[in-house]
This record gives sequence, structure tokens and C-alpha cells, in this order.
Amino acid sequence: MLKLRWPARPPSAGKSHRGETRWFTQRLVETSPLRAADPRTKLALALGASLAVMLPLPRLGLFLAGYVLLVAWARLLPEVGRHLWRARWVLGLLFVVDFWLVGPELALTISLRVALLTGVFALFFSTTTPRELGLALEALRLPYRYAFSLTLALASLSLLEEEWQAIREAQAARGVQPGRGLRELWRQAGDLVAFTVPAIVLTTRRAWNATEAAYARGFDSPHRRPYQSLRLSRLDYALLGVCGAGLAVLFWGGRFLP
Amino acid sequence: MTEALRLDAVSFRYPRDGLGVGPVSLALPAGEALLLAEASGGGKSTLARLACGLIPHLYHGELRGEALLFGQPISRQPLWAISERAGLVFQNPAMQMLTTSVEDEIIFGLENLGLSPAEVRRRLEAALQCLGLEPLRQRGPQTLSGGEQQKLALACALARRPDLLVLDEPLSMLDSTAARDLVGHLRELQAAGQTLLICEHRREFLADLPGLRTARLANGGAARPTAPAPDPGSAAGPLAAAEAFSLTVQSLTARRGGRAILRDLEFTLAAGQLVAVLGRNGTGKTTLLRALAGLQPAEGRLAVQSAAGETAPRFSLVFQNPDLQLFQASVRAEILFRLPQPDLAWYEWLLNHLGLKRYEEAPPLLLSEGEKRRVALATALMRQAPHGVLLDEPSLGQDAHHKAVLLRTLRQLTHAGRLVIMATHDLELAAQADMLLVLGANGLVAHGRPAELMAEAALWPRAGLWLPDWAWPAAETRPC
Repeated sequence: MLKLRWPARPPSAGKSHRGETRWFTQRLVETSPLRAADPRTKLALALGASLAVMLPLPRLGLFLAGYVLLVAWARLLPEVGRHLWRARWVLGLLFVVDFWLVGPELALTISLRVALLTGVFALFFSTTTPRELGLALEALRLPYRYAFSLTLALASLSLLEEEWQAIREAQAARGVQPGRGLRELWRQAGDLVAFTVPAIVLTTRRAWNATEAAYARGFDSPHRRPYQSLRLSRLDYALLGVCGAGLAVLFWGGRFLP
Repeated sequence: MTEALRLDAVSFRYPRDGLGVGPVSLALPAGEALLLAEASGGGKSTLARLACGLIPHLYHGELRGEALLFGQPISRQPLWAISERAGLVFQNPAMQMLTTSVEDEIIFGLENLGLSPAEVRRRLEAALQCLGLEPLRQRGPQTLSGGEQQKLALACALARRPDLLVLDEPLSMLDSTAARDLVGHLRELQAAGQTLLICEHRREFLADLPGLRTARLANGGAARPTAPAPDPGSAAGPLAAAEAFSLTVQSLTARRGGRAILRDLEFTLAAGQLVAVLGRNGTGKTTLLRALAGLQPAEGRLAVQSAAGETAPRFSLVFQNPDLQLFQASVRAEILFRLPQPDLAWYEWLLNHLGLKRYEEAPPLLLSEGEKRRVALATALMRQAPHGVLLDEPSLGQDAHHKAVLLRTLRQLTHAGRLVIMATHDLELAAQADMLLVLGANGLVAHGRPAELMAEAALWPRAGLWLPDWAWPAAETRPC
């Protein structure tokens, strides 16, 4: 059986946890079949989707149709939908501005491209843990210390969001509230210091504490040996094959396609 | 006998401010346990970092004397090699989590030892079992309670099987039950021959660790001067008396992330009281303060009744983490921030009383943790909120002297008719309050005077709190 070669988990392991795993502002969807795919495959899919944004509108539409099928199979429609909903203002603004400046075709193309990239982001981070991303980056020859630092930074983003909220509350308790309207513009600029200084201090402190914690557990050891290793499974080959073939047809399909 | 750690006239100075520790001399034989007891800012954390090699390998400063770890000079070994012999558990467990699951957190340190996957698995299971973390193995570390996080930090260090385990204020953020549990684990480790170096203010919890030696840093150790005792002449305080009022809380329910944190709280408090809110980690102590400060949406009724009628409560809130609130270039600017007509007599009294006068022009963010806490307290008190002040864990990391200063300051407020409500794990501090609110998993377990509540043996287990003997020196009965 070709699968990610994780050491077997004892039966007690599973989804007994109360708190969901979140990282990079993203919830990990354990039930998705894409969880079993190698993170390198998902990186390749993401790269392929990023290339697809260069397709002209009719072919981009075809790619998007295939992409929606993939998302539906991966049981990630709610997750991707949530992301697109968050990006609705950006997408709407892009559409309106492009429609006004150039025309409906470009407006639709640009909006679909941004929507596709947003969806790819959601698909990857909903099904990949920081550890898996780190392993994939290491497999791509990125030195461990950089791969680890990158995944740690991404994993900390959701914490930064919480800290920002805490700063807003703490400053509100001192009477510093974000002002509204042009008349308060000067005051708002002054208040910005009240939010940014603590944010910088907390981020720096968190980064330093993480550095200390990592080095206290032998982060720089030359003897490091990864506990888990990656191996492509049939699922990975199937995904890579289907997506690669699809992209090839879309890019070089010639006169058989719109 | 082999010496795990030996310091010969070791001193260290941080380059930024010249503060640090020492000169210190001490010897810790292998298999023994040593408690470093020192005042706030006395250099305990610096010494803990030194014992684990973070000083001088990560912190660059002026290091003098000789520090030996199992006979080898710390400064001449690579940090990864030191980390294999000396493990460190930090004060704030939430800030030392590096991964997104309990399992991964433990595995991280084991991978760095170069162990085979089978050995990693064995040690992982042993660490999870030893500290009772098996049910939590898939949980994100940031979703754990403070006690669980500290257990995880201990598990991460223990799984690497260091010869010396250094613990830097491991109990400071834990409720009494979690602290007792952690000390229980330390007792087991000690019995198994583990060498322990513990830096801790809450020494009373460690009293029953057999054979625990206590050491004080030589030369006072403290490179940073402690706050001077308040001038007795100024103890009266210039705060004007407030009119009498009472705070009524009815059917207060607050939710976070869809989960009810506070359920149907009902109590009434009078002006001029010092109130301590007790409860285990996660029972909603901070949420209650946030609701009283108007920062937490809540259902129910929160009202202040006075001769002038009924109004919404207006309190200042001092957060647990002072870094959330401080941003000005000087202590003076921080305390007087956006106060059009500050009461300068009150300002001077606060500076003197809280030992901040000498730092008046210093940037608050460069002060020690304890000093920053006092600046944050001063900023809240300077606003003279009409009904009083709310404090979240005000005694965190404070030694007995600073706790006494804090208590005297809070008493000034209550004498002037303000209501002071503090959420705390510190049972000694809580014992000196006028009123206790004890929160449990399902809401308010009890409220009343400390002397009354301490006599209720059944109360404390209901709240999930362990009540040690020393917490209530006047108690005739001991519930647990």
C-alpha cells in the first residue's frame, strides 16, 4: 500500500480533541481525502493551478470546472467557499474596476484568476499540517532551519490575529479606540502607535521565545533525524497524472478546445 | 559525587542595560534538587539560561567566571550538545510551543537527538503516559489550559532524558491544583534520581519535595535594585473618597467561540471591597473581568446602584500582559497619556508608592516584567475610573515585597471607596481580600468572606481547587 509513511498511530489517537487545529488562519480538515496525499503533490497541484491563471477565459473556465470537481471530491467546498467569501470585497472591487476600465471579459478573467488562487491557497492549507509542509520543503532541498522557520512563521499567523485582538481590547480599556471620519484622521494616526508598538513588541517576543525554546531542544543539532518521511502513493500519482494531463490539454490542446 | 552544575564566581551582564546576575558560586551534585529563591529581578531566569547554555550561546553579553555542566565548560560546548544534557522548562509555556499538536511538540525535541523512529515512538508514548497527556495527543498546544501546557513543556524536556532539568518559575501561571500536580511529577522525578534546578517564587508548593535545598544568589544577586519601601508619610494617599455604591451582577452569561465561559453568575459587591476571583485555569476569571470592563459581550445584568441612581459599571482594567498596553516613550508619558487635567498629586503618589520614580523618564518597554506591571497598574489607576479597578493576575512573577506594595496600593483604593476586583491564582493574596468569588466549570461555586469560605471543606473540591494548609494560616479545618 503506497501511502504517506507515517509511523502507525495507536488506536487511542484520533479526533478526541476539543480544540481544532488551526494554522495560517486555516482549519485543518481531517476528513478530506486530500489529507492522505503527499504534501509535494499538493504543492505541485498548487503550482499547476497558478500556471492555469495564464489561460484565456474559455480555457480558464474549463480548468475551473475541473478544479471545482477536485474540491468537491476533497470535501472542501465549504472551506474554499469560506475563503472566497472572505475575499468577496477584493474580488468585487477587481471586477468593478476592470469592468469600468476595460470591459466585461477582462473583469471576469481577472476575478476568476484571483478566485482560483484564493481557492488553491485554501485547498493546500486545509489539508496540510506545518510538519508536512516542512517535510515537503526539505524534500525540495530547502535547508531544515529555513523550512522549520517558515512553517513556524505560518503556524504563528493565527496567534498574531488573536494577539492583535487582545491589543485592541487592552488599548480600548485605556480609552484608545480606533476613530472614525476624516476629522479624526490625525488622532487616528497617533493612535496607530498604540496598536503597532505592542504588536511589534509581542511579535518580537514571541519570535525570540520560540528561538529559545527551539534551541533548548537541540534545534541546531547536526544529528537530527526526521521521524516521518514522505513517499508518493497511488493517489499522488493519480492526482499528478490527471492534473498534469488536464493542464497539458488546456495549454496545448490546439483547435479542439475553445 | 559528580557535579551536575558548578558555577565559580560566575557573573553575566546583558549588553543592553548592564543588568544580569552574579557573581554567583554554587555546586549542584547529580541526583539532587536545588531551589533558587530570589527576589523579582534577582537573576533567576538568567541563571536558568546559563545552566542550559542559552547564555552565552544565544544571549551575548559579558560572562565572567567558570560555569561547568557535568565538568565541561558551558561556553566551550555547542548549544545542541548542552541541550542533550540540560533540559529547560520556561515560565510561560504558551510562548514555547513550536508545533500544532501535542505529539509533534514532543517529537520535535526527539528528532533533534537523532533517534530512530521506533525509539522516538517509545519515548513519545512514555512521556505522554508519564504526564497523563495521552487524551490530548492530537490537540493543538495553544488550545490546552495553562496547566496542561506546562505539563506538555515538562514532557518535551523529559522525553529527551536530560541529566539536569532546569525549571524557570514553572508554577507561576498555574492554579493550585495544576501546581500541586506538577510538583507531584517533580517528586517522582526526584525519587528516580533526576537532578533538578528550580527557580520559583511560589516556594510553598515545593515544601514537600524531599531533600530540596534552597540557595540564595550571592551578593544579593539582584543586579536590578528592588523598589524602595513606600514613604510612610505618603501612605495616606491623595485619592478623593467616592460615593457609596454597589455592583449587582445577575444572570451573567458570556460565550467565547460559541462555548459558554460564564454561566448565570449572580452576586453583589459593595464599594470599598477588595475582591479576589479564584478558579482553575479556563473557568472564566479573565472573561468575568472583561465583561465588567465592557469588553466582553454578555447576557444578563451588570449595574451599579448609588444615590444618584443606576448606571453601567465603569472600571479600569489592568491586563495580565503589560506589553499589550504600554507604548509610550517614557513612564511619565505612559501614565499621563491623554489625560487633559491630570491629578499630579495622585500621579506623584503612585510613582513613589509603586517604586517608579527613578524610571519616570525611562521607556516603559525596557523595564523589567515586574516594573512594567507596576507601570500598567499606574496607568489604570491614574484614570481614576469612578467605580474602581479590575486586575488580571496582578501578583504574577512578583516577590513578597512587591506583593505587599501591590496590596497596600489596592487598599488605598478601597479606603477611598473604590471597588477592586482581581483574578488570581495566588491563594496567599486572595486570603487577604475582603470577599472571594470562587468560579468552577459550571459557574459561580461560592462567594463570601475568606474566613467563611475556608471553613467549607466541600467547597474547594467542587471548584476543582486544591487548598493547601499554608494558604489559610488561620484556618481551623483543612478541607483537602
